Amino acid sequence: MYGLEAINASNGWAISVVGVTIVFTGLVMLSIVIAQLYKVLALWENPSKIKALFKKKQPEKPREEQISNRVVFAESQKEVVKQFALLVRTMTDHFSLPRLLQLALISDLKDPYLNLNNLFKTKIIVPDGSGFFTWDKDMFDKLIS
Amino acid sequence: MSNIKEILKESSVFICLGEDERVSLAQLFEKREIQAGDILATAEDAAQYFFLLNNGTVLLAMDEGKSVVLNKAGDFIGFELLSAKGIYRTTLTVLESGSVFAVPTQDFLAFIQKESVAATAIMTAWQGYLDKTASFAKNIEDISLPYNF
Repeated sequence: MYGLEAINASNGWAISVVGVTIVFTGLVMLSIVIAQLYKVLALWENPSKIKALFKKKQPEKPREEQISNRVVFAESQKEVVKQFALLVRTMTDHFSLPRLLQLALISDLKDPYLNLNNLFKTKIIVPDGSGFFTWDKDMFDKLIS
Repeated sequence: MSNIKEILKESSVFICLGEDERVSLAQLFEKREIQAGDILATAEDAAQYFFLLNNGTVLLAMDEGKSVVLNKAGDFIGFELLSAKGIYRTTLTVLESGSVFAVPTQDFLAFIQKESVAATAIMTAWQGYLDKTASFAKNIEDISLPYNF
């Protein structure tokens, strides 16, 4: 028996289809591995990334803290904030925010509304719970000085 | 957020309302853009509107130098926080630009009087909100009487 008859008799077609499938699958997998190889090489070059992968996620900071971190004072704003600090020094420890705003307007400070809002957002000005506010000197020193 | 229905849904004062009540109430509000320095309400003027904050920051100046800063979406600025007997008792100044939803006080109080179940839920939630936001501002003896505001 020769030729196609012999192939049919020995399940040659099925064997060849299985063979082609195995080779093709192997080539696809090999190409995927090669395509991702750059990531492995990057880890090889910078092992600290491996540690970062296994490092526990830090708990999310409270929203207020995020806001506080988001406000970055420009140099000109820092000057205005220092002027606000001077105004606050003329007031009592627990001061009135509308009064501070009024003083800022009278003193012709730049962008008094925006800057007062920034002082509140950065928690340099903190509510005392009774309708008045206090000046957090530590936060002021940290963000402005 | 910029949709009044969404804000009402998120607001701790109005979260208790049912869908139908929320839809009826939403129709009373109109959106207003606010700019830093704007005065939304002045003490001693006739109380025409209550406000629901969408975004931005407002300073509510009360008697004797007391004040509260409101900057969360859904913060409601109304009732005794803003007015008494139809007169604004506080001055509302915008610190940071954004937008508010304004509701005519008469329409709002009429809604409260009409929807008694909703009114009870709103006033209960309002007391909780006020305790958290500005407990020092609570000085209305009988919150069930709309003319007090």
